[in-house]
Amino acid sequence: MDPGLRRGSDGEREPDGVTHKSDVLVIGGGLIGCATAWRLARAGAQVTLLEAGDINAGASGQNAGSLHFQIERRFIENGEALAEQAARIVALNRLAITDWRGLEAELGADLHVSMAGGLMVAETPEQVAMLEAKVRRESAEGLASRLIDGDQARAVAPCLAPQILAACHLPDEGHADPRAVTPAFAAAARAEGADIRTRTAVQAIRREAGAFHVGTADAAFRADRVLIACGAWTAHVAALANLHMPLYPVALLMNATERTAPVLPQLIQHVGRRLSMKQAYAGNILIGGGWPSRLAQKADGGFDLGAKASIIQASLAGNLRAAIDTVPMVERLNLIRSWTGVTAISADQLPIVGEVPRMPGLFVAGGGSAFTLGPTFARLLARAMGGERVAELDLLSPARFEHLNSFMG
Amino acid sequence: MADTFDVVIIGGGPAGQAAALALALAGHGLAIAVIDEPPRPGGQILRQPPAPFAVSNWLPGRSYDGLKAQLARFEALEGISWLGGHSAIGLVREADGLVVQASGQDGLRRLVARRVLVAAGCQDLAVPLPGWTLPGVYAAGGIQAFIKSQQIVPGERVLLAGTHPLMLLIGAQIVAAGGTLAGVLFAQPRQTMIANALRHATAAAAHAGNLAAAASAMKVLAGAGVAVRFDTALTAAIGNSQVEGARTAAGDIACNAIGLCYGFVPQSTLPRMAGARVQTAGPAGGWATVADGWGQSSVPGLFVAGETTGVAGAPAAMAAGEMAGIGIAHSLGLIDASEAQHRAGPARRRHARLLGFARMLDAVADPTGYLPAPTPDTLACRCEDVDFATIDQAIATGGSANAVKLATRCGMGACQGRNCEPTLLRRMATAGRTDDTGFTQRFPARPVAIGDLAD
Ligand SMILES: Cc1cc2nc3c(=O)[nH]c(=O)nc-3n(C[C@H](O)[C@H](O)[C@H](O)COP(=O)(O)OP(=O)(O)OC[C@H]3O[C@@H](n4cnc5c(N)ncnc54)[C@H](O)[C@@H]3O)c2cc1C
Ligand SMILES: Cc1cc2nc3c(=O)[nH]c(=O)nc-3n(C[C@H](O)[C@H](O)[C@H](O)COP(=O)(O)OP(=O)(O)OC[C@H]3O[C@@H](n4cnc5c(N)ncnc54)[C@H](O)[C@@H]3O)c2cc1C
Repeated sequence: MDPGLRRGSDGEREPDGVTHKSDVLVIGGGLIGCATAWRLARAGAQVTLLEAGDINAGASGQNAGSLHFQIERRFIENGEALAEQAARIVALNRLAITDWRGLEAELGADLHVSMAGGLMVAETPEQVAMLEAKVRRESAEGLASRLIDGDQARAVAPCLAPQILAACHLPDEGHADPRAVTPAFAAAARAEGADIRTRTAVQAIRREAGAFHVGTADAAFRADRVLIACGAWTAHVAALANLHMPLYPVALLMNATERTAPVLPQLIQHVGRRLSMKQAYAGNILIGGGWPSRLAQKADGGFDLGAKASIIQASLAGNLRAAIDTVPMVERLNLIRSWTGVTAISADQLPIVGEVPRMPGLFVAGGGSAFTLGPTFARLLARAMGGERVAELDLLSPARFEHLNSFMG
Repeated sequence: MADTFDVVIIGGGPAGQAAALALALAGHGLAIAVIDEPPRPGGQILRQPPAPFAVSNWLPGRSYDGLKAQLARFEALEGISWLGGHSAIGLVREADGLVVQASGQDGLRRLVARRVLVAAGCQDLAVPLPGWTLPGVYAAGGIQAFIKSQQIVPGERVLLAGTHPLMLLIGAQIVAAGGTLAGVLFAQPRQTMIANALRHATAAAAHAGNLAAAASAMKVLAGAGVAVRFDTALTAAIGNSQVEGARTAAGDIACNAIGLCYGFVPQSTLPRMAGARVQTAGPAGGWATVADGWGQSSVPGLFVAGETTGVAGAPAAMAAGEMAGIGIAHSLGLIDASEAQHRAGPARRRHARLLGFARMLDAVADPTGYLPAPTPDTLACRCEDVDFATIDQAIATGGSANAVKLATRCGMGACQGRNCEPTLLRRMATAGRTDDTGFTQRFPARPVAIGDLAD
């Protein structure tokens, strides 16, 4: 970034060596950080955002781009209790549908948002039963998902395999371009006056006299409120404030085929196998679905989030098999790239979004499918950080893990 | 299907062959596989015609004799698993050793090896200029490959343009194959070339043979009435649906094929994918894999030789391959340290001498300052149709090469950025960003059918 564009809270360029003051400091330039910075700046706050690398270099730029509003497979594969709890996320999914419908107009940017519907398919009678239970939960929460049989599913998406027995159809689902979304939020935040600094890693967080002092290698910042939105690094960065945050890094596999003629406008997921498929606007079919990759490890134990995660061959073979079984035409397409992205999951699978009770003024946001839900988290967080009580976030509050911080802070 | 080998060699060129021969000498019964993309061994320099084609006079010339003799010895080696027509698409370290995935017409093979040698050679530097995506614009090496493998000259009137003296040899080969040349254009002045050569005068004297080859190529060209011009930059390829001419500093020249020859960059995709340390290669750009005197890279068990470690010509690749073969034999405990030193002595001395010549050639051929200027709408990445205006804009936001790739799709196509990465890094360097480590190398190194990879 041109240093000439860096502005302090008084709007003037400040020499380094002084403390840069702002109302809010956002740590992390992924989707959540950039979108929250934009919402806050638009509401009139002075916002500084610090990003260790480049904007969108984390999970936000590496994900599958699915806008999935049905209850995710991962929530229903681990028993009733978890499924019951997870069903409550549907309320947020419904907000996200509205948010995504308006986003391109609001940002004035082409994000390649396509909401042509989504199908979660089933291949066996057991899987069909899972879909039935899922649809019941979803309707109870007011989601317009619908169970259809195999032929109906193939009428919606003719490329589906003959052995697909049924599918859960939600007309609002779809996908957007992860390459475009976060940069658009960042650009909009800058346009509203936010001070966004890349290649600026936070190395220290200290709370003193009700304000936060945040340090990087060569600058000091002061703000009344801080948001940690560091994706897989959130636990590390929370540790700088002497806090525990039960968010764990996971490395996931993604695959892209060569470009091909339009064949798949919908988002395809599978209830019994890990799979997500969609055709990006450029024509490549993206294949993912949460197959694990191997995180790099440090010599003394622990994960090395700075190094590239590596592909697990069995994941690659399994993911592509699931894709072929579901959409057979991909078998003869070429794979041109597989990559790994690192994101965060929480101890109870639900995202963690809100103020940390142990440290008023400190907010965190991370975990879960924050491409789909990120814009909604950001909108709600901006209100919460402005001092409003936001009931929609209760389900996700870090308060549920407060016991971990009884001896911290 | 998993096949287990002691050593897997990727690349059947001079370096790979030399390594296989040295290994075979050091240990009887070693299980060695050689993976190579062409069906038959030879590498870039001895690209062989497909077996059914009988080509008379295949690559005449003294300078090929040593290479041909080695190729004959390699083809006579017994007990080597030859995997011609296969691409190595992945290289990772796993618990049971280094794993190479090889993709061919028969599907995918997973090879597990105690040692892997990457001897993948180099490729022509891709040079974007206005009109370079017109049919008829080739890398000079592409034209040469046609001639070597099929005795076909693409185009009735070929213009060679660039900064690399190899153009003279390729020009002579075109003439010998019955083609017509519209000219050979060096962008740099002749005096600059001579001055740069003289700075390496000892190397030049020691390699009079190579210079003689250039001189005799000049003679062939003169005999055919081909103009060799210096200080004559190519600025654009012109034509509607096909090359019809070239815009140059000396005016427009009619031709229907243009061969671009500005230098070569190492093929280091696989070592980079495996996490090996690389450094910036010669003046043409690209990444050279870093290795010790035995070809051992920074990744345990992964060796590299030949132009994967830097472009230095075929005889140097041969010497380096031999050293790596001996180094691998030693690392496997087949020969002791003093025996390894002893055996590698002659190759090591030859290699050192040849490197001197390579540095001279680098200086003479240096394209810095002579590359054609793209216009804003010239494509930088032809897989994804990304133009210079777009990458310049992304570079201006201060991001890394990976960030520019993510923002613009430059490097996201089927070639995995092999062609546009040097272009992008050069562009970033012009904007003051000289420290970038380039694109993260992703699997697969070559496109591969989904069906071949699935369970
Ligand atoms: C392969 C893959 C596929 C996915 N698919 C989907 C999907 O289809 N749909 C969906 O909804 N979700 C998906 N997700 C999840 C989604 O991508 C993430 O939830 C979301 O992008 C998280 O955004 P974020 O802003 O929290 O984190 P990130 O985008 O990871 O951003 C965090 C940022 O914090 C920065 N940072 C870290 N430490 C510091 C520091 N000390 N100082 C300053 N900055 C720092 C990092 O550099 C990074 O840029 C997927 C994730 C992956 C990995
Ligand atoms: C167009 C061109 C012309 C040249 N002309 C000359 C010349 O006249 N004189 C000279 O001294 N040098 C020349 N060189 C340099 C020449 O490449 C080398 O000197 C010599 O061939 C290097 O030997 P090598 O063994 O390192 O690589 P190569 O001979 O290039 O052999 C490498 C082999 O590995 C294969 N390979 C690469 N990647 C993979 C993969 N992923 N999977 C499977 N196989 C793979 C390649 O197809 C190739 O067959 C030229 C280079 C080029 C590109």
